[in-house]
Amino acid sequence: MENVIELQHVQKSFDGFQLKDFSVTVKKGFVTGFIGGNGVGKSTTIKLIMNLLQPDSGTISIFGLNYKEHEKEIKQRIGFVFDENIFYENVTLAEMKGIIKPAYLNWDDNLFNHYVQTFELPLNKKIKAFSKGMMMKASLTIALSHHAELIIMDEPTSGLDPIFRRELLDILHDLMQDGDKTIFFSTHITTDLDRIADYITFIHNGEHIFTKEFYKVEEEYAIVKGGMELLDGDTEQEFIAIRKSVHGFVALTDNKTRIENIFGETVLIEKPTLEDIMFYTKKGSEKHV
Amino acid sequence: MFNLIRKDFVLQKTTLMIMIPVLVVYLFLGTSSIWIGIVFSIVITINAYTIDEKSSINMLLNSLPYTRKEIVSSKYIGAFIFTCLVVFIIFIGNLIIHQEITIWKDILLIVSLVMVAISFIFPFLYKFKSQYMLTSSLVLFAIYLVVITLFIPNLNDKIEEFVQMLLTLQTAQYYLFIALLVMALYACSWLLSIRIYGKKVF
Amino acid sequence: MQILISNSSKEPIYGQIYVQIKKLILTGELQEGQLLPSMRQLAKDLEISVITTKRAYEELEKNGFIYSIVGKGSFVSEQNMEMMKERKMKVIEEKLFVAIQNGKEMGLSLAELKEMLTLLYTEDE
Repeated sequence: MENVIELQHVQKSFDGFQLKDFSVTVKKGFVTGFIGGNGVGKSTTIKLIMNLLQPDSGTISIFGLNYKEHEKEIKQRIGFVFDENIFYENVTLAEMKGIIKPAYLNWDDNLFNHYVQTFELPLNKKIKAFSKGMMMKASLTIALSHHAELIIMDEPTSGLDPIFRRELLDILHDLMQDGDKTIFFSTHITTDLDRIADYITFIHNGEHIFTKEFYKVEEEYAIVKGGMELLDGDTEQEFIAIRKSVHGFVALTDNKTRIENIFGETVLIEKPTLEDIMFYTKKGSEKHV
Repeated sequence: MFNLIRKDFVLQKTTLMIMIPVLVVYLFLGTSSIWIGIVFSIVITINAYTIDEKSSINMLLNSLPYTRKEIVSSKYIGAFIFTCLVVFIIFIGNLIIHQEITIWKDILLIVSLVMVAISFIFPFLYKFKSQYMLTSSLVLFAIYLVVITLFIPNLNDKIEEFVQMLLTLQTAQYYLFIALLVMALYACSWLLSIRIYGKKVF
Repeated sequence: MQILISNSSKEPIYGQIYVQIKKLILTGELQEGQLLPSMRQLAKDLEISVITTKRAYEELEKNGFIYSIVGKGSFVSEQNMEMMKERKMKVIEEKLFVAIQNGKEMGLSLAELKEMLTLLYTEDE
C-alpha cells in the first residue's frame, strides 16, 4: 500500500524536549488518528510534516517527494487546519479567501461557497470576531477548497461542540469516498476516532509507540481486572502498567492472548478505550524511569 | 511570489489610504521631498513586515505553497515597489502643487538611502523581533549623540556636506558607481535575510 | 441491506458486519452476483472506519461468500448448493431446538408439538 507520509529516523531536539528516532508512515486512502498527551510531540511532528520545522537528522517524504526539491509541489496538494487562528485578524473571510486563493492552482470557488453555506459562515465579518468554532469551520473551508489529496489537522475537534464534531466526521467520511484522499489528524478527544480512524498512531514522550489498524489495537490490547493474589514479581512483568487497590488490580496488556493463556478465567478481560491505553502507557513509562 | 506582494498591498489598503493624503499635505507645506520620501517608504515597508510578523501568520504563509526564499524575497521586492510608489507620488505631487519637476538626483538619493536603510533593518527584523527595533534605535541615537558631542562635534555638518557633495557631483559615472554599491548591499542583505529566515522556528 | 452495529457488543465491529452479511447471503436475501455497497459507502453509512468494512469484506472474500473485481466492486459469489442446504438445515435444526426447549419448559409433549408444527405448516400453504 502506498505511503503518503513517511518519516524515517527523525530526530529533533529542543530545550527539554526531544523527538527520538521517530519513524512513522501514513497510508494513502485512509484516516490516521494521531494520539498522545499534551506536550509529547504531536504538534512538533505535524510541523515537521508541514516543513515548518526541519529535522536535525532523518528523512521526511510526502507523496514520495522531499521538501528540499519539491516544497511547492507538495504544499499544493496539502490542506491544513491548525488549532490556533493562523489567519489575519483584521480582514473578512472573503478577503482572506482573496489572499489565499491565488496560491493554489486547483482552487475551486464552488467548493468554497459550498462549505461557506454548509457551515453558515459570514463572509463579511472580520475574522477576529469569529468564535473558536467558526474559526475552525473557516480553516476547514479553506483547507477543503483546493482539492487537496492530504488533509493534515492539528486538534481539529478541540473547542467544538459535540453536534458539530459529529457533522465534521460526516464531512470527513464524504471526503474519503473516492479513496484518493488521506487524512492525518491529531486529537486528544479519542471518542472521535471510533467513528472515522482507520489507523491509530500513538506517540509518547517523543517516541513512536505504535501505528496499527484500529481493530488490531482492540484485538491486542486489553484491560485486565483481577484479585491482588494473582500478582507476583513474574505476572506483573506481563503488564504495561498496573493500578492496584484493596479491591483488586486493573492493568493494561498489549498481548491479550498471552494473558488469556496465563490467567484463564480468573481475571476479567475487557476491550480498552484509547484513553485507557494512553493512561496506562504514561503510567508505565513513569515507573521505568 | 507576485501573490505575496499583492497581499501586502491588499492588507495595507487602509494604511495607504491614510498615508498618501498625509504625504501630499507634507508636500504642500514644502517639506523636503528627500526627507518625506525616505520616511514614508521606510514606514510603509516596516508596516508590511509587522503585519506578517506573528508566528501564526508565519505558520500560514509557510504552510501555503510558498518557499521561505519567496516569502523573504517578496518583502525585498515589495519594499522597492513601495519606494517607487512614494517617489512617483512625490514626483506627481511636486509637479501639480509646485509646478516643479523633481530632479533625478533627488530621486536616486531617496531610493538609495531607503535601500541602504532597509538593507540593515530587514536582517535585524528577521533575526530579532520588531519590538526591539525601538530599543535599538534609541541605543543608536544615544551613540550618535555621544559621538557628536565627544568625538566629532560637527558630524551633522559633515553629513550635510557629504550629501551636498553627492548632489553636486558632475560625472554620471559616480552615480552609477553609488547605485551599484547600493544594489550590492541590498543583494547581500537579501541573501542574509533568506539565510536567517530559513532557520526560523515557528 | 440491513446491518445493525452494536457499540457495546464484545464482538468486534468487523465481525458483526461479517456475520450479518453472511447471514443475508445464506438466507438468499443477497443473491448471487448481486453488487454489495462499496467499502467506503458502507463505512460512511454505518459511521465506522473504512478499514473496518475492509476487514469484514476481506474475511467474506476469504471464506468464499463474495468476490471482488478491481474498479467494479464486490459481488456475492455463487454458493455451493449442497453446502447451502446443509447450512440451512443447520439453521432450521437450531430454531427447532429452541422451540423444543421452550416447549419442554411448558411441559408440552412431542405429540402436541408435532400437532402445532403440522398446523402451522399447512396454514402457511
